[in-house]
Amino acid sequence: MTTDPGFWLLQTLNALQLSMLLFLLSIGLTVIFGLMHFVNLAHGALYAAGAYVAASVSAVAGFWAGLVLAPLAVAVIGVLLYGGLIRRMRRSGPMAQVLVTFGLIFVALDLTRLIWGDIALASAMPPLLEGRLSVLGIDYPLYRLFVIGLGLVVFAALAFVLGRTQIGAMIRAGVDNDAMAACLGINVERLFFIVFCLGCALAGLAGAVAAPLLSVSPDMGLQILIPTLIVIVIGGLGSLQGAIAGSLVYGFVQTFGAVLAPGLASVLIYGLLAAILVIRPTGLFPAKG
Amino acid sequence: MFRHTFLRYAVLALLAAAALLRALTAGYFGLEILAEILILAILVLALDMVAGFGGMVSLCHGALMGLGAYAYGVLCVHAGLAPLPALAGAIALTGAVAWAIGAICARAHGIFFIMATLAFGQMAYSWVFETPLLGGDDGLGGIPRPDLSLLGIDLSDSRSFVLFCLAATALAYGAAVLVLRSGLGRSLGGVMHNEQRMRALGLTVWRVKADVFGLSGMLAGLAGALAAMQVMYISPGLLAWTTSGEALVVVILGGLGTLVGPLVGAAAFVTLKHGLSGVTSHWHLVVGLILIAVVMSRANGLFGWLEARWGARLDRRLADATREDTPREATNDA
Amino acid sequence: MLETRDLTKSFGAMQVTRGVSLRLERGERRVILGPNGAGKTTLFNLLAGELAPDSGAVLLAGEDITALPVARRARRGLSRSYQKNTLFDGLSVEENLGLAAAVHCGQGMRLWGDSLARPEVREIVAEVAEMVQLVPHLHARVSEVSYGVRRQLEVGVALATRPSVLLMDEPTSGVGPEMARGFHRLLADLPRSLTLLIIEHDMDLAFDVADTITVLNYGEVVFDGLPEAARGSRLLQEIYMGDWSDA
Repeated sequence: MTTDPGFWLLQTLNALQLSMLLFLLSIGLTVIFGLMHFVNLAHGALYAAGAYVAASVSAVAGFWAGLVLAPLAVAVIGVLLYGGLIRRMRRSGPMAQVLVTFGLIFVALDLTRLIWGDIALASAMPPLLEGRLSVLGIDYPLYRLFVIGLGLVVFAALAFVLGRTQIGAMIRAGVDNDAMAACLGINVERLFFIVFCLGCALAGLAGAVAAPLLSVSPDMGLQILIPTLIVIVIGGLGSLQGAIAGSLVYGFVQTFGAVLAPGLASVLIYGLLAAILVIRPTGLFPAKG
Repeated sequence: MFRHTFLRYAVLALLAAAALLRALTAGYFGLEILAEILILAILVLALDMVAGFGGMVSLCHGALMGLGAYAYGVLCVHAGLAPLPALAGAIALTGAVAWAIGAICARAHGIFFIMATLAFGQMAYSWVFETPLLGGDDGLGGIPRPDLSLLGIDLSDSRSFVLFCLAATALAYGAAVLVLRSGLGRSLGGVMHNEQRMRALGLTVWRVKADVFGLSGMLAGLAGALAAMQVMYISPGLLAWTTSGEALVVVILGGLGTLVGPLVGAAAFVTLKHGLSGVTSHWHLVVGLILIAVVMSRANGLFGWLEARWGARLDRRLADATREDTPREATNDA
Repeated sequence: MLETRDLTKSFGAMQVTRGVSLRLERGERRVILGPNGAGKTTLFNLLAGELAPDSGAVLLAGEDITALPVARRARRGLSRSYQKNTLFDGLSVEENLGLAAAVHCGQGMRLWGDSLARPEVREIVAEVAEMVQLVPHLHARVSEVSYGVRRQLEVGVALATRPSVLLMDEPTSGVGPEMARGFHRLLADLPRSLTLLIIEHDMDLAFDVADTITVLNYGEVVFDGLPEAARGSRLLQEIYMGDWSDA
């Protein structure tokens, strides 16, 4: 089967689709870390919240309403989190932040169970994207192509914002040296707030996009957390290039590992992570030298 | 470096007395809970050794514990070793694996150290899942308990087994104190305070980290073997990173870097878990909120808070009482 | 005793050390002078092994140690103190000295028994405490003693590894001129067998202890010789005059 070009194309598309999903999730986490040195382990919980909101809304008002409302709802959660916890934790060490957000995972896990119950929800695909498309001789689900496309669009948009706009320049300055940025008259605190909410919204978007692909269950946030962390550590904390590179590495290693070396696949990705941490402790594209 | 204070001795004595009393009087269910507490206590002692005294916040101690459990199980079930040699083998093997992980991760700091240990832990977890010899998803059953009939002890009896666990916990505590008070423990403290300076003084920093990580791994292996003995079955879920996360939570709730605090934390955590699960199925919510509250309060956990409030005062009063007749030295003439 | 050959180091496009060649005899006391940014601390980091040079070599007692890591150099008798206090803040003065002495005595990895209770370690601690006048402060925590005492301890910790060569990066940095004098008398009383290389910012203070003087400017050795010759040097005064304002 490995000599069939269709197989390689299919797996490449699968890998890309996984990569893009992870990219949507990891970009928020990595920029928040780069800018605020804040490790938000609850990022996966935000993704789960996005998936739940999307599933609930789409059952009433259709997929597209869910896709729009989920990021907004999660951004609102982000605002609450920022006001209630994150701002107060800004000056504490990474250890305290890891623990508080670890506690948030517990809380979020049970809150989703309280609100939506223990049973996994199914979320329908939009009729428009239900079919399959013939790509270079293979049939591929249209929805998955949509996920790949959405990821690329978000990447392009973020690359534009970070690279070409004033707020992007401010964010880059903040990642580089927040004390210096503050001296230049940038309101760093407000910048943090905006970036944090944007990161949350992207996590919500990822959840909404993932909802029709996976079953929406309370522990989906926990399951995605580790891959997301692997992505940002492989890529290097704080950079857009790192997030996309890490996502691609993870997506391809995981997908091709699963079909080519099934017994080794999961060990492979962790081995790769360990190797990168040993050889290049700051990841492939660290935001700072 | 670790020091015993009056408060630490007092709490330690209280814990030991309570455990002994429960072990002698509790019914079957109470004994199971006590065994769970004692096994968790050994794991969090191991974790506090590296995290509290060496700044190495590990997210692979759950996996190390699982490795110890599997090593014990395989040595008993597949290699046909007697339980006690298998126990020794499991401890040694887990220690060796932990030493290697510590050596490789020694260069990483902060969040990178956490991630690196997480990676190794998850690697072990996936490997266990995919190894047929270990039973994969089904786990490994038929694990024996040691035969101490020569001493007139029957470990298949819950009460005897709990007393066995209590002895193991006491031994583990003693070992941790000995290591932390040794030259190695001193060096570890120096490395945590100022790694650069220790290196400039001629210390091979990675060796210190690896050695302590290995010793801590041996304790985790002991905890794992005991866990395997307790339920006589091992599930791969034992190695999941959430086990490490929970152990870390216990260390933090108890008091990082105090050894006694994590013991308090283990007792409180397991008791709370079983107490709450009778009332509500959402005990994670409660634990999560408590964790957030404790960390936000900036106290060093339950015991740390107690120590900050009473520890210094108690020690001073005690010192005054015993040193009444010796002349006071001037300590501040700078 | 300590020698460098054509030592060069750049950070990006900036060359901070340019072909520095030094040679210190056993027991020699040399002071390195130079304005801010002359590359003095970089040179120390190259000597101690905290930085690797782009080219050139470092020799200790005739042996090439360029490839050795920091800890291995320290075990061969090369010790250093830092310009900014690099101490174990939560511990007592005695424990600070003890940690260093324990590493020197090979007790740093000992699994059995407290390294600081060993007689050979205690002996070094007592000796060094005497040398850098820390005896009254031994039981105080580092965070409790004055800045001046911490500067003494900074040198004391470096001495407690019983080095043959001691690098001191501005030992009097941040202390007043009166205390700095006292500090230099203390340095002058150190055993003559010890080879000293001292970075000093203040020219006058430098003449208190120096057998020989090296002046760095823009990463280059611009003067190398006896203090008397340095005192009269126009070049040195020119370099230094501009520096007084930001000292």
